[in-house]
Formats: sequence, C-alpha cells, structure tokens
Amino acid sequence: MPSLLARFAENIYWLGRYLERAENLSRILDINETYARDDAGGPSWRRVLDLYADTERFAANHETIDVHSVVWYYLFDRDNPSSIVNCIDLARENARSVRHLISTEMWTQVNVFRKELSEMRTTKVGVANLSGLCHQVIHGCQSFEGVAEGTFFRGEPWCFYQIGKYIERADQTTRILDMGYDRLSAGEGYSGAWVDWNVLLRSVCGYHAYRSRHPGVSNPHDIATFLLYDTEFPRAAALCVERITSRLQEIERRHMERRKPGVEAKRRELEFLLETGPGRELTPQSLHHYLDQIQIALAALSDEVGRAYFTGR
Amino acid sequence: MVVRDPDVKDGPLAGYDHGGFYCEMFGRNGLAHTADIRRRLNKLDSSGLRRRAKAAERELYNLGITFTVYAQAGAIDRILPFDVIPRVISAREWVQLESGVKQRVAAINLFLHDVYHDQKILKDNVVPADLVLGNDNYREEMHGVSVPKGAYVHICGTDIVRDGKGTFRVLEDNGRTPSGVSYVIENRHLMMRAFPDLSEGIAIRDVDEYGAQLMRTMQTVAPGGATDPTVVLLSPGKFNSAYFEHVFLAREMGAPLVEGQALVVENDKVYMRATSGLERVHVIYRRLNDDFLDPIAFNPESMLGVPGLFEAYRKGKVTLANAIGTGVADDKAVYAYLPRIIRYYLDQDPIIENVPTNICREPDGLKNTLDNLDQLVVKPVGESGGYGVVIGPRASKRQLAELRAKLKADPDNFISQPVVNLSVCPTLVGRAVEPRHVDLRPFALTGDSTWVLPGGLSRVALRRGSLIVNSSQGGGSKDTWVLA
Repeated sequence: MPSLLARFAENIYWLGRYLERAENLSRILDINETYARDDAGGPSWRRVLDLYADTERFAANHETIDVHSVVWYYLFDRDNPSSIVNCIDLARENARSVRHLISTEMWTQVNVFRKELSEMRTTKVGVANLSGLCHQVIHGCQSFEGVAEGTFFRGEPWCFYQIGKYIERADQTTRILDMGYDRLSAGEGYSGAWVDWNVLLRSVCGYHAYRSRHPGVSNPHDIATFLLYDTEFPRAAALCVERITSRLQEIERRHMERRKPGVEAKRRELEFLLETGPGRELTPQSLHHYLDQIQIALAALSDEVGRAYFTGR
Repeated sequence: MVVRDPDVKDGPLAGYDHGGFYCEMFGRNGLAHTADIRRRLNKLDSSGLRRRAKAAERELYNLGITFTVYAQAGAIDRILPFDVIPRVISAREWVQLESGVKQRVAAINLFLHDVYHDQKILKDNVVPADLVLGNDNYREEMHGVSVPKGAYVHICGTDIVRDGKGTFRVLEDNGRTPSGVSYVIENRHLMMRAFPDLSEGIAIRDVDEYGAQLMRTMQTVAPGGATDPTVVLLSPGKFNSAYFEHVFLAREMGAPLVEGQALVVENDKVYMRATSGLERVHVIYRRLNDDFLDPIAFNPESMLGVPGLFEAYRKGKVTLANAIGTGVADDKAVYAYLPRIIRYYLDQDPIIENVPTNICREPDGLKNTLDNLDQLVVKPVGESGGYGVVIGPRASKRQLAELRAKLKADPDNFISQPVVNLSVCPTLVGRAVEPRHVDLRPFALTGDSTWVLPGGLSRVALRRGSLIVNSSQGGGSKDTWVLA
C-alpha cells in the first residue's frame, strides 16, 4: 500500500468530521423543535445558538430568533460556515481531494447527497416539514456511513476517517446531553420531564438501547451516565474515545514508531476525564462544566493529531 | 445527394443521411464490419435510445465525471457531453493506426534526443535550425541531459482525422501533457452499463488495462538503481479543469496523487510529505506544464511547482514524464517536417500521413500557397499558437490580400493546408440521428517499448456542420470500439 500523504490524511479526517457534524446538527434541530413545540414559555431557539456559541454572529444578521431564522441559519445558510449545507459541501470538497483514496461508491453517495441538499434549499422551512428535512439529512449521512463501512479499504486512510468521525461524534454527544440535561433535571414538578428524556434519547438513537439497559423508571443521572460511559452504545463518549485510541494505535503500528507524545498526552487526558467523571454530585452546573472540559480536551486532541500527522514532517 | 444505408429500412438510423462525408458507420455506402452494430442500433426505438442517453448523462453527474467551470455564481460542474452511438474501428484499420502511432512516437523521441544532444538533423539541414533552436518550447536547460531509455514523450496523444476519401491523417501531435484518456475508459464503462445489448457477442478490444500499463511504463523509466520505485502523479490541484482525470489515473495506477506542496527536494532527491514523514519519490507523472514545475529553474511565480526539482531531474535522481522540453516536437512548425523526420531517423515512409502541408519557407510551398490562397487554411508558426489562422474559403478579398502581403514579406512564418472534410459519425441529436464530425486521439505509452491503448478518444463536434471538436466549443465524446 503506498504511503498516505499528510494533506490527504487531513482531508479524510475532515470528511469524517463534517458528515458526522451535519448528522448531529440535524438531530439537534429536530430535538429542539420538539422541545420548542411543547414549551409553554415560548420556543427556545436561542438554546441552539448558545450551544454552538453562535448567538453574537447570528444577531449580527438577524433581528428575531425564531424557528424560521434559526433553522434556515443551520440548515441552508451559506453565510454560516457550519450550516449543514456548508458541512456537506466541505465534506464533498474533501472527498473530491481524496477521491482516489475512497471508494467510488462513497464518492458517488456524497456527490449525489450534496446535489440533493442544494436542491432542498428552495424548500420553505417551517415547523411542518422541519423534522422531515432533518431526517433526510440524517439519512444521507447514515447512508454514507453505511457505504463507507461496506466499501472503504481498511488502510491508513480508514484510520483517519474513523478518528475524525469519532472525535466529532464524542463532541456532539456531549453537546446534545448538555442541551437536554437542564430540562431533564428541572425537578419533579415538571410534567414534561419524561417526554424530554424520551426525545433526548431518541435524538441519539438511544431510546431502545437505554430501555434495555435501564428498565423501569428513568432518571437524568442514568441518562447522562448512559450517553457518556456506556461503551456498548455507539454514540457514547467513552466508546468514541475507545475507537479513537485503537485507530491511533493502528497508525503507530503502521508507521512502526512509538507514540507521538503530544497526541498521547491529550488522549490520556480524555481517558482520564471519562474515568473519573465530574467528580462531585451531578447538577446541571457541574455537568455543564464537565462537558466543557471534555469538549476542550477533544479539540486539543484534534490539534495534536494535526500536528503529528498532517504537516508531513 | 441523399446517401442512405441500403440495409436500413426503419429504426433510428432510417432517416440518416451522411451527405458527402466519409462516415465512420457507413463508409461511403455501407461497411461490412459495422453491419451487426447497425442492425442492433436499429432495433432500439428512438425514445428508448433517448431515455438511455439521459440515464447515462445523469450517471456522469452522479459519478462526478465532470470538469469544473469557475464563474461568478460559483463553481459549476459540467460534463463532457457523451453520445451513445459508438464510433467503430475495424481490426484492419487499427493495425494501421497502431503501427502508425508507434512509428511517429519513435521518431519524435529520436528527434528530441537529437536536438538536445548532437543536433545532427539540424546540421544535415533536414529541419531548419532556427525553427527548433528559436522555438519558445525549446528548453536550453535540457541540452546534454540524458533521460532513461531515451524516452522523452512517455505519454503521447496523436490527433488523427479522416479526410473525405476515408484516409487517416495526423492533424497534430500532443507530446506535453495530453489529456482525455479517462473519458475513453469511463465512456466504455458507461456504454457497457447503458447498452449491454448493443455489444453483446461482439468482440471489442478492452481499454481497462491503461492504468496498469501506465504504471509499468513509469516503473521502467525510473532512475537507475531504484528497485521498487515510487511513482506519483503530480497535479496542479482540484481547481484544474482536468482534475477528475488526475484522480482517475492516480487510482487506476495505484499511485499517490500529489500537489507541489506535498513534494520537497533535499540533496537533489525528491521526497513526499507522508503521514509517517518524508518518503523518497523516483518517478513523477506530471500533469503540470514545464513552466510551472520548478520556480527556481523556470517561472519564479509558480506556486504549483517544487523548488529544486529541475536540479534533481538534471542529475538523474528523479524521472519526469513527460520529459521537460518535449513541446518543441509537437509544435506546428515542426509538425510540417514530421514526415521527413520519420524518414531521417527510421528510413521509413510515414504509415499515417500528415494533412498535406505547404511549408512556405520553401519556394514550392510558397508558390502553392499563393496560387490557392482562397482554398487553403494558412497558419502562422512559431510562438503564437492558434493565433492568426486564416481559413481561405471563409476569408474576405481584403483579408486574403493582406495575407498575401504578409506571406511574401515573411514566408518563414507560415504553413498552409487544405480544409480537411472530417469524417462523420451518426450522433443522437434531440430526437434524430444526424451526422457529426469526429476526430480520434489514440494514447501511446513509451518506456522501453511503446504500447497503444486500443482505440482512443473520439471527440465529436455536436454543432451541425462544425469541424471543431474541442470541449470548450461544443464538443462531446463517444465510446470508441476497436473490433478484435
């Protein structure tokens, strides 16, 4: 197998990340729409903006925060660099750069998906079709993932694809949890609680898995634990970190060299965070802080992977 | 005069009239080797033909077999229009084409070696020295540089047309970075999927071997001593309109696709930046023009090249394919001398003739040109490519008078050729099948020997009556079937 160019490793890594990002962003829009609909106190689209620290940027070009403006911003706005349509464009551009390294089926899938998505931009977005649009995006991303699973040669490029995908997924799972948890723990008096955890779990395809893991009455603590630590759940942060670790080890084996110290340090930091937990009683505040730490550690790991493998030195 | 196929009573080809031109499907009045294919084509009804053509086109978009046009509105993906009616070449015709291309490539490589070494052909006055040494594409820097196996043009695309009598003639040699081979292979795949019934049971020469042959060729020209050489394909990047082809070829070869920034020269050796660090590179199939290869040796503005690459090349530490400076052999001025070049080095007559060409620096050529000015295409040679071509039959009296004056003042700067009535091929246009002009570009690979891909790229001028097959001017392509 010919050696992998540093630049292409980076392209493949981001191909994995952007598709995963688009999928999760759709999940968040979908779940928030459901929340917002049941919310007597008015829709809370601001929450999504907060989640991605976009409040200021959004305010610069928008007067009101409502379902139309926020959903358009995240689904189709070309001026929002992390909108879904831009994510898929970037995924496709990265795929185009490494078209010789991925399977023809993967390329065709993302190429057609991107075209369909651009055509969807003419759709008027409203509450009635939001869920449908989100599911279309999710379906496109999942199809890509399935095609990759079935056709992508398991060489070094595959490792970088997996690392990108799992770093993004771990990051996004913590964001979804963050968004839902304050509502989950809003107290016994809150009648909508069980609807909320139901929606949260469904948004990460974890409802049935969770039910079988925790039959009976649910509580926010169990749900948080499940999403973070259950290594049999494919979107759990701990499972993502496990996968990242084994792909990093595989790359080291392929290069026949010792661990890259920078990468290793950040990877262990993540492992440590997940092994020790928030360290005190779980409250919305402590969890929020803890999830922040995980997100920061993931970003640092991403930087180190870039330094170690994407510069070609 | 209406010329119709006697074998065809109804079906899509029934109304087809190839007029006065030589037709690749019918010849002048029916060709034996295409009889089977014509019969099958005719069994398809017109709407079925169109439906399948549409499906094939959609597939081109889905597979991203596109070139990108950058406009104000952003990037637009265009496909090279694909016509579903194949162009067919008989086994006997192919023998001539294949041997003719091989002969031409052999002569071109000997010529390049000579002009960059002893320059015998110039000293013997077979080709005027100023035409070569004063040519913009002549690379002084290459003088005395030896290349493995004497191969300069490793990948050659020879543009061949058929005249009104059905005789093959070479229109142009492409010895720099010829493109289009990816369409040959993709067109075949497309055709086999869309029209499996058309070729069933007919033995057609395979085109899938190209990538493997290209890789083998690259390996045979690696610098001496390199066992298991590393071959890479150097592309200007994804903004280049031929990027799809670069991707395609890298994949078919199983070679890394690189851009300039991914390569680095240290101690006159070339390395690529891999995830595991720097790795030695032995052969570079470059899809970058000479000028852009090395900002130190050539165009200092180039951001696409690799500083120090030429020095590594000159010292024989890396092989470039094609070699630097091959442009002097496919220049219009030198083209006119190719028949003499073939005789000079090989002592053979050309197997495929040029389009008859008057060399105006010679008294006979000038006289012929001046006597028939209104019937000839006059082309200036030397630096300025296609600029200033005058098509006699379409020129005004005043233009012709001006041209006459220029010819007399500076005959050395011109060649002239008759207008060639390119052959036609039945082509699906809207609902009807109509004749459209075609050319053919076979691809030849040369390392220690020469291999020619059976067939080549058949380009078709989709506009009625147009003789211009270029994709930028409404050209498309067809699958090319060489019968076994």
